[in-house]
Amino acid sequence: MPSPLKIAPTFASAYRTGPIPRRFFLGVVNAAVQFATQMLAITIVFNQTESLGGWSREDLIVLVGVHAIVSGILGMIFSPSISSFLESIRLGTFDFLLTKPVDAQLLASVQSVAPQSTVDGGGSGHYWLWSGTAGAGFGLVVLMFILLLLAGLCMVYSFMLVLASMAFWFVKLDNIMNIFNVMFGNAGTWPITIFPAWLRGMLTFIIPIAFAVTIPAQALTGALTVGNVALTFALAAVFLTASRFFWRFAIRQYTGASA
Amino acid sequence: MPSTPIISVENLGKTYTVPEREAGVKAAVVSLFNRKTRDVQAVRDVSFDIHPGEIVGFLGPNGAGKTTTMKMLSGLLHPTAGNASVLGFTPWERDRAYLGQMTLIMGQRNQLQWDIPVIDSYQLFKAIFRISDADYKQRLDELIEWLELQSLINKPARNLSLGERMKCEIAGSLLHQPRVLYLDEPTIGLDISMQRKIREFVAEYNARTGAAVMLTSHYMADVEALCERVIVIHHGTLLYDGDLHGLVSRFSPFKTIAIEFSEPMVANGQLADANDRYGEIVSANDTGWEVRVPKSETAAVASRLLADLPVADLTISEPPIEEVIEQVFATGVET
Repeated sequence: MPSPLKIAPTFASAYRTGPIPRRFFLGVVNAAVQFATQMLAITIVFNQTESLGGWSREDLIVLVGVHAIVSGILGMIFSPSISSFLESIRLGTFDFLLTKPVDAQLLASVQSVAPQSTVDGGGSGHYWLWSGTAGAGFGLVVLMFILLLLAGLCMVYSFMLVLASMAFWFVKLDNIMNIFNVMFGNAGTWPITIFPAWLRGMLTFIIPIAFAVTIPAQALTGALTVGNVALTFALAAVFLTASRFFWRFAIRQYTGASA
Repeated sequence: MPSTPIISVENLGKTYTVPEREAGVKAAVVSLFNRKTRDVQAVRDVSFDIHPGEIVGFLGPNGAGKTTTMKMLSGLLHPTAGNASVLGFTPWERDRAYLGQMTLIMGQRNQLQWDIPVIDSYQLFKAIFRISDADYKQRLDELIEWLELQSLINKPARNLSLGERMKCEIAGSLLHQPRVLYLDEPTIGLDISMQRKIREFVAEYNARTGAAVMLTSHYMADVEALCERVIVIHHGTLLYDGDLHGLVSRFSPFKTIAIEFSEPMVANGQLADANDRYGEIVSANDTGWEVRVPKSETAAVASRLLADLPVADLTISEPPIEEVIEQVFATGVET
């Protein structure tokens, strides 16, 4: 089987896209507006208080930066690929993907790339400049941050995959994916510690926003605990394994669109 | 045929469970809580073998079970009954060694990436099928030459006409040089000239590589040009498996006798009598008639026509294959 590392860049060269400069320009405008809005929100909040759920102003900027990076990665590969996957189920072209001698989950997960989304991730560089905390630690801290970020991405990807796999039964799932995007886009920019317990639980174990954003950000703000690190890696393994099993079960339900 | 079958199908069956409900809002609400389903037997007890190098026409009306059978053989669907072996593999186990040796081409769907140049999609297939640089170049050059793709491969698929896109689809599907081809209506919607090109290409690919081809098409021209053997399926059940011309002689109870008169002849009320004496007069004018007669009476009717009328030429022919197939589908004749 071709390795994912070989397939993924090939897909990257075969991304679905329109005129690149125009998309990048729109991406830059979008990232700038988001940046300004979020900075305004943070400024307003911290004019009233010194700390938000235990997070300082600098910590929160780091968190927003991490959220931007995660959003950029999701928006570059997984979101467009999952959208393409859902469309292919509806149109019946998923047949072609299943008849290829490679892992169907891999192909479905990386089949479309939206390079303009790197603007979101790249835009987060601005946030780092604002953050005193981000520049304070290197070496192990950054390594731990990257590992936690990867683990968090694995969890969010697994969650998206499970949601998308339901298309084998329900075919049209665009709205559910929209709900996920809205929740991730809005709740993810705030530390989960500020939410009530029930919502915190949901954003931790059902929609794993806490693991994708809050905990990696804690690696940079110095608020990380050993327990959180262990839990993140353990849950990443559980999410990946469970989503894999669910995918395999779901794919057996595929009947294709009628000829 | 002495060779070992490349495709072997035994008592294959597929039953779908499909939801159904009455029309109206009330029924829609009720169906949310009490979902009714119905079992539909798309394929039942189908068995056949296909040998290397064969091109087999897989015929049937819409909804007959052709595509379902092909999807099971290409590993997309799990059957609910029976077994199949293709190239020694069980298709629905989707062994990568099997998927790397077969291809599925569907005339109504595209696998080329819509927005990027065709050649980029080919690069993708090269990576997926692990085709070496040398093989890729050689096969691509051949396919470009056979299908006249030179001016097309650098354009995005969305900018190609239907026929151009189909040629590119076919080339992309054959880059890994599959040994088994499932062609599901590959010429649908194409103009006559493009249909002919695709047919010629399939025949040439089959001759050069010895690949087995299973073809569904509603265009009898495809079937007549490519398939010596046909399998007819109707309501999921196999009706006929054999020689294409054998299908005509088995299922058509009629022959057509065409006569040309040696001198212009005005019917003058003879036609009413002619229907009784010779058979069904399908067409008639001053220069000739076309008469449809029961197969068993062909010789006798031909003799009567020669004796009674000033005949310059007489031809006896089987009815067109479309007509026979249509009749088989309409009556669902069992073998």
